[in-house]
Amino acid sequence: MSSDRSEVDVPPLTEGIAPGTATDPDVGSDEAATVTVDGTDVTVPAGSTLLDAVDAVETDGYVPALCHYGRQDIGPRSECRTCMVETESDGVVPACSFPAEDGAVVDTDAGEAAEARDVNLDLVLSDHNLRCTTCGKNGRCELQDASIDQGVEEPRYGVLDDRDQYEPLDDSSSFIQIDRNKCILCNRCVEACNDVQVEGVLRMEGTGNDTRIGFQNGAETMEDSTCVSCGHCVTVCPTGSLVEKGIENATTIPIPGFNQKNSIGKTYENTDSTGSSGTVGRSDNQMTPQKRDQRTLESEEAPPESDGPDVVDPASEVWDDERRDWP
Amino acid sequence: MFRTDKMNSIESSERTVVRVAAAGSEADPPEAVKRTDARVVPVGSTGVTALEPLVAVTRGGRTAFHARCSVDRLEGVVAAAEEADDVTAGDPDAVVDHDPDATRLPAVDLPGLSAGRRDVLGACGWRRPTSADDHEAAGGFADHDAADVFDAGADLRGRGWGDACHDDPVGESWATARDADGDAAVVVNAHGSPADALLLASAPLEVLDGATTLADAVGATEVVVYASSDDARAVETAREAVEAHPDPVVPVEVVTGPPEYRAGEPTMALEAIEGNHRLEARLRPPGPERVGLDGRPTLVHTPRTLAHLAVGLRGDDGDEGGDTRLVTVRGDVETPATVELPETASLSAAVDAVDVDGTLKAACVGGRFGGLTADLGVAAGPDALADAGLGTEGVVEVLSEGRCLVEFVGRRTRYAAEENCGRCVPCREGSTQLANLLRDVYDGEYDPEGVAELVGVMERSSICEFGVNAGRPARTATTEFALEFEAHADGQCPAGNCFDAREAPEVTTST
Ligand code: SF4
Ligand code: SF4
Ligand code: SF4
Ligand code: FES
Repeated sequence: MSSDRSEVDVPPLTEGIAPGTATDPDVGSDEAATVTVDGTDVTVPAGSTLLDAVDAVETDGYVPALCHYGRQDIGPRSECRTCMVETESDGVVPACSFPAEDGAVVDTDAGEAAEARDVNLDLVLSDHNLRCTTCGKNGRCELQDASIDQGVEEPRYGVLDDRDQYEPLDDSSSFIQIDRNKCILCNRCVEACNDVQVEGVLRMEGTGNDTRIGFQNGAETMEDSTCVSCGHCVTVCPTGSLVEKGIENATTIPIPGFNQKNSIGKTYENTDSTGSSGTVGRSDNQMTPQKRDQRTLESEEAPPESDGPDVVDPASEVWDDERRDWP
Repeated sequence: MFRTDKMNSIESSERTVVRVAAAGSEADPPEAVKRTDARVVPVGSTGVTALEPLVAVTRGGRTAFHARCSVDRLEGVVAAAEEADDVTAGDPDAVVDHDPDATRLPAVDLPGLSAGRRDVLGACGWRRPTSADDHEAAGGFADHDAADVFDAGADLRGRGWGDACHDDPVGESWATARDADGDAAVVVNAHGSPADALLLASAPLEVLDGATTLADAVGATEVVVYASSDDARAVETAREAVEAHPDPVVPVEVVTGPPEYRAGEPTMALEAIEGNHRLEARLRPPGPERVGLDGRPTLVHTPRTLAHLAVGLRGDDGDEGGDTRLVTVRGDVETPATVELPETASLSAAVDAVDVDGTLKAACVGGRFGGLTADLGVAAGPDALADAGLGTEGVVEVLSEGRCLVEFVGRRTRYAAEENCGRCVPCREGSTQLANLLRDVYDGEYDPEGVAELVGVMERSSICEFGVNAGRPARTATTEFALEFEAHADGQCPAGNCFDAREAPEVTTST
């Protein structure tokens, strides 16, 4: 049943690509619209979101719209929620994914929307390793820009500063370095890799605070993935999470021994450079990109047989919190 | 007396009918019972499992009830009734006189079954779950004009967070789906709610009747019943009911999804039905009523919503009138129960239907991410609940005296942090930081304004209801039970749980 469904309507080229993300509807407006943003009328074409109108004027409140890309049909992922604005008809909405409807009145300065942008930007920072001085994107980072423009001085929830919580740096590819501690999960790289390049390498995986970008073939490192090193993901990444090799230390303060790698502490190296195999680094001569079909749902199997009184046992939960300690 | 099955629906004018209501497997009645003239029919759970197996011995307009009646006792009960030619023989727990053609479980004075009404739950524990004859005898499978269906939809509000119209009137989305391009679909989202699982297991034809009637009215070409793979019995019964449906206007299929809580979110349900291996919520607008299953206009409703539609359309919703709500009581109770209350009745009526373990201290009202309150005088309708800052999921989780609410809220928040889909910042990072703020209380730092600010942002900027509601336990507890948080900040746990637990971090299992 469900497995049949997944065959339906999947263009042959993308069959087997499993980015792990939801199929969003088209969020643009049906027709051209005139929208009032902070008192200024703006006319935007069909297919526009409120952010298109917001971007066209000098707004009263700063709207970081951090995860928005707006090119190459990438996004809107609409995950950072630093683009919340107040509308007269629908209350506080995310500008980047809300259709621009004719007659909409937008207020960027409204307290609840401004507070939401502010808190959400701090929430992004709370999960971000803010070691800018050793970051290859220092000075050309969209998160840095947004934080400066927003006037962030002391993020409410701090920053990701606990080395024990850091994910190892993935330095295994000869072309691209991944520092997931700087990832804001904007999904741009996943879309670039799957929807633009149609390579089917990157995916979103995990849930809750374990959500991360990973590889569709299940590899732990870039080297073992099916990456063809086209570099598209690097060009769309807003932060220092995906950086081209060779410039990962370009902006590091010139003190010997002070670099991106030791800012993290743990690194996946290229297996060639660690001498564990005689082959050339996989990323140089990618041979057989094995695209895995992950579009299967284990639940497709018949539900497990059970003869106990299972229906009205509302206490049954998958996740048993009671078994773990608190605080 | 002669034995005949001239009517396939349950009929008790000429011979005794013995209903055995239980949620579990239907044990075959003992041989001795089979040899009598009585007709033994297994029916689904009533919702009050504490009484089950519940045996109801009916002859004409009189029924005798025997609670917790084992198969062994069944033999004696039936023998006594047959011998005396009187259903009240055999020392029943309650006897009720009713309309001889009753198609709903009559009101009976047994703990749990005397609470509220039985409109939507009428079939549960009275009609055979997958018997089309029983359903038809109760007025089911009638044809309805699309106009009547739309009339009913104007006042009907979606039940539960799995319903794409949670708490909102459904009619508008029906019109949108009807008028949108593409073949519409109706999804019955039974994932995760105990009341919905009960309906699927005990009254699936009521649910399917509502779904196919709706499909017909909006011109949908498919009905998909979606449930958690953990609710095995509900899924199995639903499949049998689909087979038993005499004349579904459109094809109906039953699909299961992973058991995680988030998989009940309406758009994650669509993702699961489409076969995605990882579930996260979709953006909206446009909602599923315009772009849903495989891009088609899709109405996502819970079994509760659809059963209310079916029952409402045939005017079978009791003499008292007015809307009802299914409420499941669980938590620190002897045995959970699901009852049906008028929207004006207070939640305490539902709690009266169960045995609380110890004394009630508070309740988490509105499901996993319900609101905490000590006042159960609030009415069961969605407006009253929303005014009180509580949830409308139809679940009341009882917390007894020994519970520490700071701990309860902390654990719920951590659950949110680990179980959310990971898509949006306010929910993914917000619930993690909220758990941190609650942990800080144990280090003497209690920041109620910080909690309120963060929960406010989660509520107003999360993509789906998971994140919108995830902060509710914390918001309500910090306002209503502020003293308990302040005590913890001073190193005291009024319930005497937390600080010991901290020193001796032992695995405690209390469910
Ligand atoms: S460089 Fe590799 S991971 Fe990045 S877009 Fe290209 S194929 Fe995908
Ligand atoms: S690696 Fe970069 S582009 Fe990819 S999700 Fe993270 S921040 Fe976005
Ligand atoms: S609110 Fe939570 S569950 Fe819903 S989309 Fe956001 S992260 Fe996912
Ligand atoms: S820019 Fe709108 S949510 Fe990120």
